[in-house]
Amino acid sequence: MNTEQIDRKVKLPISEAFFISVRQIRIRFQRSKIMIASIGLGIAFMTHLNITNVIFNAYMADAGTTVEAYQFWLLIISVFVTCVGLINSTLIAVYERYTEIGTMKCLGALDHHILELFIIEAFLLGLYGGIIGFIIGTITATSSLIMQLGFDVLSKIPIIDMFKYLGLTTILSIILSVGSTIFPALRAAKLKPVEALRYHV
Amino acid sequence: MSDSIIECQNLSKHYHIGGEIIKALDNVNIKIKRGDYTSLVGPSGSGKTTLFNMIGGLDRPTEGIVYLDELEVSKLDAYELAWLRCHKLGYIFQTFNLIPVMTALENISLPMIFAGIPRKERRKKAIALLEKVDLGDRLHHRPTELSAGQQQRVALARALANDPSIILADEPTGNLDTQTGLKIIHLLRTLNKERGVTIIAATHDLKIIDVSDCVIWMRDGKIEKVERNFKAADKTEGP
Ligand SMILES: Nc1ncnc2c1ncn2[C@@H]1O[C@H](COP(=O)(O)OP(=O)(O)O)[C@@H](O)[C@H]1O
Ligand SMILES: [Mg+2]
Repeated sequence: MNTEQIDRKVKLPISEAFFISVRQIRIRFQRSKIMIASIGLGIAFMTHLNITNVIFNAYMADAGTTVEAYQFWLLIISVFVTCVGLINSTLIAVYERYTEIGTMKCLGALDHHILELFIIEAFLLGLYGGIIGFIIGTITATSSLIMQLGFDVLSKIPIIDMFKYLGLTTILSIILSVGSTIFPALRAAKLKPVEALRYHV
Repeated sequence: MSDSIIECQNLSKHYHIGGEIIKALDNVNIKIKRGDYTSLVGPSGSGKTTLFNMIGGLDRPTEGIVYLDELEVSKLDAYELAWLRCHKLGYIFQTFNLIPVMTALENISLPMIFAGIPRKERRKKAIALLEKVDLGDRLHHRPTELSAGQQQRVALARALANDPSIILADEPTGNLDTQTGLKIIHLLRTLNKERGVTIIAATHDLKIIDVSDCVIWMRDGKIEKVERNFKAADKTEGP
């Protein structure tokens, strides 16, 4: 045999990668729940602050009140806390799978295939976490406003804007999820197969 | 086509641990004949796994050359190595290393996905392989739902998925009881004869080497002796 006979093409079609990632999320349900919870909680907190603000401002619009600045810092802090929790979970989640990564490489996977699998998974977890977090945050924000200001606030919910916020929040959630996965996943993907396999036990 | 499918020339692998040099492989020269069943025997720490890693292109040697089917392994780039692992080599591990979230069928399909085989064909071939290793009734079981011996048989079927020319089995019976281990070894031998796939199995268990065409004895990173025509037990030659 000579090098010309090697066609160099090892493949992992995106549809197959997607299928494998969905599998990972479903079967490792405990781990997935933890990931979704760490993203979802942060997002819920962020959404709570944001939606409270939005509705409250709409309610107070006649009185001409403006946004409370301290909430901006709370938002930043909540993003930061979400990131720390998330990076912690992703580090463990990737580390747990070193043997699997080494095995896949033995079967022919390239570095970017491994990375692809982790990114698709992080994307889906971010999506779920974002949507769930948004729903929870919206419910807590509106209920606490109802308790403080009465059912009047319901009429102040900007329905169209809510979809915009849902979209933005979900995108942010996905960015956070993928962002915190990409570095441990990249490090793992770059390992030589022997190094990845050595980690087991 | 050359007679030997694997050739190692002056192969060395050194590890530096706390200022000390460990010679995991120390100037190894071997040739492995195409279609042979070779056992690599030596005590724990003698360098069997290290040698496998060099042959399989999983790690780079400190010195020396490995030819795999006349290809010089260290000259291959990442893409060529991946292709080689996918198409030419099958690995079997002591710890089975099946992908935990996948069923037996999916585990066997995985290397075929990497090889670009269409879904239908993949499924057909995976089922045939599972039947071959007597697990036709366990297609949709995940590794945790299979016994150790069954897991190793799935791993064996997976190693065969892309019709490799070489199977590297590192202590394939290390986590199995003697009876189950022997079954795996005989299955390997059968596949070796039926398909002409070259098999190299590392072990420190002398009970499972009778099936071999050739036995290579290792100690302290060196080849101690090579016994060809092992079963005939009439010829012994130096390394
Ligand atoms: N990554 C490593 N770093 C340092 N030493 C290693 C490493 N891998 C193997 N060794 C050493 O190389 C020698 C051979 O190991 P190995 O090939 O695993 O033996 P075997 O598989 O025959 O039990 C041992 O002394 C082992 O400690
Ligand atoms: Mg070993």
